Amino acid sequence: MKVAVIGCGSMGNVHAHAYAKMNDVELTAVCDIQMERAEALAERTGAVAYPSFEHMLAEAEFDVISITLPSYLHKEYTIRAAEAGKHVISEKPLALTLEDAQAMIECCDRQGVRLFVGHVVRFFPEYAQIKQVIDQGKIGRVAVVHTKRRGSHPGLASPWFKEADKSGGILFDLMIHDIDYLRWAVGEVKSVYAKSHTDQDLEFAFVTLQFENGAVANLEVCWGYPGSFHTGIEVAGSKGVVRNNSESSNSVRVRQISSDKPGQAPVVEVPKSPGAKSPYELELEHYIACIRTGDTAIVTAQDAYQAIEIAKAAADSAKTGKVVSLQASRVQEVTK
Amino acid sequence: MTTLKVGFISFAHGHAFSYLEGFRKLPHVVIAGIADAEKHRVEDVVQRYNIPYYADYRDLLRTDIDAVVICSENVHHAELTIAAAKAGKHVMCEKPLGISVSEMEAMIAACEEHHVQLMTAFPCRSLTAVVEAKEAVDRGDIGEIIAIKGTNRGSNPGGWFVDPALSGGGALLDHTVHVMDLMHWFTRSQVSEVYAYAATLFNEELQVDDTGMIHVTFENGVFGVLDTSWSRPKSFPTWGDVTMEIIGTKGVISVDSFAQSNELFSDEVGKGTWDYWGDNMDDVMVRSFVDALIEGETVPITGEDGLRSAQVALAGYQSLEAGQPVQL
Repeated sequence: MKVAVIGCGSMGNVHAHAYAKMNDVELTAVCDIQMERAEALAERTGAVAYPSFEHMLAEAEFDVISITLPSYLHKEYTIRAAEAGKHVISEKPLALTLEDAQAMIECCDRQGVRLFVGHVVRFFPEYAQIKQVIDQGKIGRVAVVHTKRRGSHPGLASPWFKEADKSGGILFDLMIHDIDYLRWAVGEVKSVYAKSHTDQDLEFAFVTLQFENGAVANLEVCWGYPGSFHTGIEVAGSKGVVRNNSESSNSVRVRQISSDKPGQAPVVEVPKSPGAKSPYELELEHYIACIRTGDTAIVTAQDAYQAIEIAKAAADSAKTGKVVSLQASRVQEVTK
Repeated sequence: MTTLKVGFISFAHGHAFSYLEGFRKLPHVVIAGIADAEKHRVEDVVQRYNIPYYADYRDLLRTDIDAVVICSENVHHAELTIAAAKAGKHVMCEKPLGISVSEMEAMIAACEEHHVQLMTAFPCRSLTAVVEAKEAVDRGDIGEIIAIKGTNRGSNPGGWFVDPALSGGGALLDHTVHVMDLMHWFTRSQVSEVYAYAATLFNEELQVDDTGMIHVTFENGVFGVLDTSWSRPKSFPTWGDVTMEIIGTKGVISVDSFAQSNELFSDEVGKGTWDYWGDNMDDVMVRSFVDALIEGETVPITGEDGLRSAQVALAGYQSLEAGQPVQL
């Protein structure tokens, strides 16, 4: 299987390195309009660098393409790749509107290519285990869930994150991880209530989801958090509680004295939770395997569509101050 | 006033035992009587400490006590507080102050009319971690507050707490008020809008809600959310928590009030537990009530404070009914 990557930012690097490590996959091409980024990644992965999609399509051989571009470009390149007969693995969110997501799904169907979306939280072992614990009935009926996902503002490194029409903002870019995970682990969402705050340095939101099965979840996300990136989840049920906090489940901490004057300078701490394979490697290997076997993926493009629907409901609720019922919106769609 | 004579009306709420110990530690306080129609609840303490017992609280109110502590079932707070006020006794009343806005207003009015003080028992304001966080906010350490996420998770208290005729509500009422009082105190603003969800999910046989999530918006624009659920299973290492994540324009404060605990693993207990070793918030709160009365100053947490927080919980039930946020 030959794979290409378009968009050589941080996620493009993650995808390319994951492919480069796979035995039965060949990373043939990486592409970025900033050619130096493509070249740097090509050098480290053994791929060929291209400055444009056209160029890459004309010259490189590949069956699958990872689209790790800023979110507002996912639609255009997914459709161009699908029309060229390539299977697509798009980073999340699939798109910034339901219409775009629908168009992408329909185009890939029409072209007979697979479409996968990088909802990687389902591949984090701690989150996969929590889903398993719920399914095994160990905590009884799920009642109250909390998730959090906080870190520094990605807009500091990549300004497009601060432009809502390019990233969708924190609900579409960051909270969508927990939204997708909770649909998988808890069930379908009935209604959404959201409060959010956005300024130049800080973006965050509290979102409460009510589920069809009666459970309730409060999701917290923050960009601009004064501290390192971390996540947390607690699921409380009628027979127990399961939870994880990424800060306390790091298995390795490297602490380095950061200057020539020991004892005076701050210490740089890099906490890590290493595994034999990263969640991204597990995710991409699974998608590649699904392409080979034709199996349905753990997370489908339709799941990605529904996560966008909930993120949009949250954005609407934050704007209007009202509870947004997803059943009502589904009924409206049907009657249109 | 050099010595303060304090009486207790009802030990229905188990906090009474802890408050009693708090008062007993103060040299200028005399516990002058305990009234509880259900004698079995107080038999042990009246004997152990040789405290006069009254079957009828009205007999206790006829004595020369200066103040009473009311730890009855929620639905009796109003009757007992108003009777105490009419008898000229200062009152410290367990939370929630009442189960309707009108009865809480009547309690406050009665205390004003009879020139006695009414304090709502919100011991969380006395948590050392909370006080430290409040001082940091007031110093401007995190700029202006933008939002607060709180949790006051607990365990099903059982007994009259789950009988709506005596409690007036479930987890949403029981566990909104503590952290809501803290949110009021920290933001110095009033809640203008409430959205809440409540349900009975942890123990479906209960007649009251045990699941609660409540969002509030304050007049100054700050917004908050709070989990009020009785969601701690028997196997959990502790009874519950009081946490706050305060997000400001220049930083974040995390409060985990009972984090000062050792991890204890004992075969005698049968599970791992978190053994709290921090300061006793009840002692601090009780002392603040006594000090205010002796100094002739306003009690630190008033009846209005109790009303404001309970009112938010009550509005939460209205929001649940409406399926939308409601205005206060």
